[in-house]
Amino acid sequence: MADNWTSSFVPLVLPVDGRRVTIIRSPSLSRFSLMKSLTELAQYRDLLYTLTVHRIRVRYKQSILGIAWAVVQPVSMMIAATLVFSLIARVPSGDAPYAIFAYVGLLPWNCFSVSVANATGGLVSHSQLITKVYFPREVLPITYVLAALFDFVIASTVLVPLMIYYSVPLTAKVMYAVPIMAVLTLFSSSMALLLSATQVRFRDIGVAMPLLLQLWMFATPILYSLNLVPERLRDVYMLNPLVSVVESFRQAILYATTPDLWMLARSALISILLLLASYVYFKRVEATMADNI
Amino acid sequence: MVDLKFERVSKKYRVQQELRASSERISVSGLLRDFTRNCGNFWALRDVSFQVNRGETLGIIGPNGAGKSTVLKLLSRITAPTSGEISINGRISALIEVGSGFHPELSGRENIYLSGSILGMRRREINEKLDSIIDFAGVRQFIDTPVKRYSSGMYVRLGFSIAAHLQPDILLLDEVLAVGDAAFQVKCFERIRALRDMGTTIVFISHDLNAVESLCDRALLLSSGEITADGPASDVISQYEHSAYGIQGRSSSTDANEGKPIQITGLTFRDYQEREVLSVCTGDPLIARVDFAAGEPICDLDFEVFYYSPDGRLQCQFSTAVSRDALDLDRGNGAVQFSCAELGLQPGLYYADATIKRRADGRQIAWQYRVALLRVEHGKRVSGRFYVPHQWRLTQPGGVARSEGELAKQ
Repeated sequence: MADNWTSSFVPLVLPVDGRRVTIIRSPSLSRFSLMKSLTELAQYRDLLYTLTVHRIRVRYKQSILGIAWAVVQPVSMMIAATLVFSLIARVPSGDAPYAIFAYVGLLPWNCFSVSVANATGGLVSHSQLITKVYFPREVLPITYVLAALFDFVIASTVLVPLMIYYSVPLTAKVMYAVPIMAVLTLFSSSMALLLSATQVRFRDIGVAMPLLLQLWMFATPILYSLNLVPERLRDVYMLNPLVSVVESFRQAILYATTPDLWMLARSALISILLLLASYVYFKRVEATMADNI
Repeated sequence: MVDLKFERVSKKYRVQQELRASSERISVSGLLRDFTRNCGNFWALRDVSFQVNRGETLGIIGPNGAGKSTVLKLLSRITAPTSGEISINGRISALIEVGSGFHPELSGRENIYLSGSILGMRRREINEKLDSIIDFAGVRQFIDTPVKRYSSGMYVRLGFSIAAHLQPDILLLDEVLAVGDAAFQVKCFERIRALRDMGTTIVFISHDLNAVESLCDRALLLSSGEITADGPASDVISQYEHSAYGIQGRSSSTDANEGKPIQITGLTFRDYQEREVLSVCTGDPLIARVDFAAGEPICDLDFEVFYYSPDGRLQCQFSTAVSRDALDLDRGNGAVQFSCAELGLQPGLYYADATIKRRADGRQIAWQYRVALLRVEHGKRVSGRFYVPHQWRLTQPGGVARSEGELAKQ
């Protein structure tokens, strides 16, 4: 029988009889092995898949609108934003009509905010499981990120009627959405790991989350365009990795132009570094997570 | 071949002390002080070393708070030790709590996939075992019904069935055997025995000394986070019983009763020949005798004996309060004997309290807590929480009527 029991902290030793030896020790950074952790995570990929499907299913199981909720949420945000920022405040949206301008911004933002907001409480809400069974705990926050990505795909279908209605041409540039969303997923995962692990010790994180996300939304060009940000603030403003994600996404879908790849690459690099750091931190917290939860 | 090894393993828990009295003013500096200072340390395990060989069945026993569940948590990787090293050779799975990871909204089938993958099974493996899991649990008819509509028995059976299909190299068992109805318990025990006979290494952590004795070759006795005995299961269990709660099955009067008008001087158990015994079998007669010394004539009393299992739960009671009249005593020594024709307690260890109370106000006027220890052994074997005295009789048209009594005479 294939054996899938490995340790996060020490190298695997394969004894003569083909069984795997696990050594459990007190957690320490010096013994942390990224390869071992990732190998173990890969062995639990079926769990990752099953839990993600489970998230999606449970969320829509007993609601009347079902899967349509993934669409209703961003569409109503779009309508509200159009009323406030276009009809009342008259925020310029370039050549594109404001409604579709806002919707294209809201799509990646919603994907990010939903995954981070859900993942933050994801470990604590599974305390029953964490204190009873072992599995790589990072599976839990990551499933929320993947489930939000599924919602994103569903919500994106609304773009088709919107683009036809506002006669926005659909071009091959749309394919840029794939690497853009990949960067977003890396960044969302790093935040999900960092915040969920911290929430186990400090429940304040969960309380502060709605506020944090609201402020973050204002600091991202979702309901207004990047051009409106004063030149002298740009450098600071651009530190937010979501700026380039949202802006590139809009470039590719709405304006059918090639996004600023240099800017996107920088965001990708920041996201990868953050993800690595969050993962190491997460694994360190994981070892005694069950005691604190 | 060693399958499990604990090498000088210690586990420390941080214990947060109660916040200070609420009348004190809450200040930031005060809160900070609480935060930094009021964290005590509690060593759940201290320098514990042992090893388990392949195919061995090890029982871990000990009083509450001895560190048994910490050992279980460390072995199942739920938490990491503070120091020391644990080596595990092979795939380990725990039957700690069944139904882990069940979601009420999902169907039984969906929950098998969910719970199975949480327990470390691959989808392919679950696909192969799906039918067997459903049949073992006996829930085929309801497999596409959400589990929130399941009876608690069905829920537990499905959970156990998934866990029982893990085929680990090393199996960890908690008190899970106390789940489900009698027929299902028998099935579970069969499954565990089959695993043992296949050479699976088993670690069994339990309060049920008889279950440990019947399943395990070897036992460890833990107390206050340290191993105090290690050896053949029956030896360790009898050592535990004799050290348990510091009582020997015979009482001596304590200060609690000094200067009272009436004192309890002893609680002893006897068999039907009135011989004093420390152990008795389920279904056998039992006499419990409470000796007292009354310093003055005293009226309106009730005598009671309480039986507790090692986890502190009251199991049953002998009482004179069930009769119409209370007891009136003269000055001097005496005894109240409770006799029961067939003992209903299931095998296990019980400790007993003896008390005397006034019937009018129910106030206890004399007591001896944990004064005696009673070991109940396998006699009449029945499943369930207790044995209910019963007879049987076979009738068949044209055949010879038979009953238990007649068979016994033959």
